[in-house]
Amino acid sequence: MQQANRLRPFFENITFDRVDNEMVLNFGPQHPSSHGQLRLMLHMQQEQITKAHPDIGYLHRGMEKMAENMIYNEFMPTTDRMDYIASSSNNYGFALAVEKLIGLEVPRRAKVIRMLLLEINRLMSHLFWLATTALDIGAMTVFLYAFREREYLMDLVEDYCGARLTHAAIRIGGVPLDLPDNFITDLRKFLDKLPANIKDYEDLLDKNRVWLMRMENVGVISKEMALSWGCSGVMLRASGVQWDIRKEEPYELYDEVEFNVPVSDKGDNYARYKLYMAEMRESAKILYQVADMYEGTPTELMAHAPQYISAPKLDIMTQNYALMQHFVLVTQGMRPPVGEVYVPTESPKGELGFYINSQGGPYPYRLKLRGPSFWHTGILTDLLPGHYIPDVVSIIGTTNIVFGEVDR
Amino acid sequence: MAQHQVNYLKDGGLPVALTTIDKVVNWGRSNSIWALTYGLACCGIEMMASGASRYDFDRFGTIFRASPRQAELMIVAGTLTKKHAEFIRRLYDQMTEPKWVISMGSCANTGGMFNTYATVQGVDRVIPVDLYLPGCAPRPETLQYAVMMLQQKIRKEPASRAQKPKRLM
Amino acid sequence: MRAYTPKDNVQKKSYYTDRFWVAPQVAKSAVSDDAVFAADLDAIKAKFDVLDAYIQVDQMVVVIHANDNYAVLELLKNEREYTQLSEMSAIDWLATEGKFEIFYQMLSMAKRKRVRIKCKIDEKEAIQSVEKLFRCADWSEREMYDMFGVVVNNHPFMKRILMPDDWEGFPLRKTYPLQGDEFAAWYEVDKIFGKEAREIIGPENRDPARIDRYDTKRFARLGHEVPFGTDISQGEPDTPLVYQEQKGVFMVDKFDTQKSVVISDRHR
Repeated sequence: MQQANRLRPFFENITFDRVDNEMVLNFGPQHPSSHGQLRLMLHMQQEQITKAHPDIGYLHRGMEKMAENMIYNEFMPTTDRMDYIASSSNNYGFALAVEKLIGLEVPRRAKVIRMLLLEINRLMSHLFWLATTALDIGAMTVFLYAFREREYLMDLVEDYCGARLTHAAIRIGGVPLDLPDNFITDLRKFLDKLPANIKDYEDLLDKNRVWLMRMENVGVISKEMALSWGCSGVMLRASGVQWDIRKEEPYELYDEVEFNVPVSDKGDNYARYKLYMAEMRESAKILYQVADMYEGTPTELMAHAPQYISAPKLDIMTQNYALMQHFVLVTQGMRPPVGEVYVPTESPKGELGFYINSQGGPYPYRLKLRGPSFWHTGILTDLLPGHYIPDVVSIIGTTNIVFGEVDR
Repeated sequence: MAQHQVNYLKDGGLPVALTTIDKVVNWGRSNSIWALTYGLACCGIEMMASGASRYDFDRFGTIFRASPRQAELMIVAGTLTKKHAEFIRRLYDQMTEPKWVISMGSCANTGGMFNTYATVQGVDRVIPVDLYLPGCAPRPETLQYAVMMLQQKIRKEPASRAQKPKRLM
Repeated sequence: MRAYTPKDNVQKKSYYTDRFWVAPQVAKSAVSDDAVFAADLDAIKAKFDVLDAYIQVDQMVVVIHANDNYAVLELLKNEREYTQLSEMSAIDWLATEGKFEIFYQMLSMAKRKRVRIKCKIDEKEAIQSVEKLFRCADWSEREMYDMFGVVVNNHPFMKRILMPDDWEGFPLRKTYPLQGDEFAAWYEVDKIFGKEAREIIGPENRDPARIDRYDTKRFARLGHEVPFGTDISQGEPDTPLVYQEQKGVFMVDKFDTQKSVVISDRHR
């Protein structure tokens, strides 16, 4: 029954007539350095790219449709699978959007724990970025080193929530658990070691001839282009726009901590690489400060809003009314007020936005996920022409795209 | 310098072993499983983690190859969408016999949490699967265990060329 | 009698409804409360009809006519410093009003303000592309077309972006079920094996809780391996996963816990 010739190789993307030497090259969707399932159709003149068509959607899983069929709390684990390298930042973005919609104030200890998780996730994501990009360019050593450090962070997160990759560690209205006993000590231990590690990476890469050739003056994004393509995060800051949502529109405790926003005006791959390294140092700085805040905060972890948020476990087990509320909230789901909200947060990749349109029902009427990587993939259309084939890999690397977020 | 003196008559016999071709071939096959880098989604990250420094995958002789022609194990790590389905079939067909497939994670097993219009409800609708790994995402230890199970499975199979290729239907 | 299910919105409904429950509203405030927004709104009002304007959750929402969309965004970009289009998409109101609502989420980095421009179009109506103003609209509009079937005029490359080119239906419309229609259910089988393979491969299993312990088609049975599709309801063979002989194979030793030694002194 199985017909071997059913899936013939298809040649519609390869031009055999030699019209002015143009060739169309198909890159992906299964390619080790496409960072997921990116497919690029590249029109080439010899080695130079004249036209690029990124083709996405190979990881489109219908998350927005799922959101319309799920109660709000049920959707939380799905957000993990968006930017799966830094899951907690997605959890947080969604939780914050719903909290804004219903107007909740989160207890301070929950805020501290969220800040810790967010910055740990940022470090994890940046380390992962460094590892994979270095691997694509050929620096296997940096890959192994960066993964080593990332495993420490994963252990920390695992201590907290039990999962390595898909955390679901943040709830609407707070966090589910308090920090385990030795979390802060372990974190400090790691942070003390981190600067030396970052210096190791920089020693290996900064002056490395191959690295410089692949990075410097490759993939230059001008300021206008970055703004026009809706870039955010490091992609925008490397092009000379000082815009970090943590600084400009502070959420959680970012207005209480001291940190710098590194900016560069070069716009090339090397600038982005330097910014990622600088951001890791800033994250470590934030983590030190937030770790100090933890001591002495009141032990409350979830906001008190019986209409939307279940009571603490102790109350559910001891008080009848709390149990009834919990039952209703779990089986039917919370019903936020009618209205719409767009909440941007600074995820490791850029501006992660959640647009929620609620019609007062337990399911969102429309939920739009704004993954920054979507536009960072789109910019390849304009960025790649003029570059050579080997540059494609390093440019895809420094855009730091994650396909769970691009295709949703 | 340490002096190694082996008394072959006493310590385990002469350095000659008799075995069958099946066993020798399967010994080689099972200890050098080259896997295709097929990270589709979140599980792909855990697959990379298994290959990286902490969970050193090279110990098992498992090396990730980018080309299906050089690979004999396809670890389907992540959600397979309907748009991608034809490519997985094509890559599977491009792999040389003998070949094995590990379906890693709930999405690849059954569609998992993504019970939607866009996901294939289990890669076994498209390619034959040898091992299913539960978990979302499975930890690297799970993947290591799966590879060990696969090694055992390979060692059990006859290695002759007469073996029939696996068929989906 | 079967319960009536509406065809124009097949999304999940809450099974519990309370007749007397009035949904609360997210507070809206007048635009005049915020000086920056008020100035922006005045600039828009000077040239265009504004159907509604208010501030909700710190962001101004301006409802305009659909055919003004390009001009309003141009005004905001060039004169009011809203230099970035962070997001745009559509909302399906076909079931209630027969219209799509399209929103543009704008960001001004100089003023640190965000504005949402909204407009409504009919089902078959097309909307003007803003791709000339913001390059990112290129992909957003394609996504909107892909998901809702909203056609965009003057777009350079109006094709599907997330779904395959030969896909049928627009997934985010409320009439499209979450688990897909008939076309979606057989898409990969039709494409790879052909329609004639449908019977052999069988329908998708959409029940996440379904487990059939006698299923030899979908489950690998390590230790109890049988050929594909064998009936095992009468018992299954025991095929332990061991080497072909018990004493191990050439050069591969079995791990013996009795013989293992724990080395405490690493310099031994």
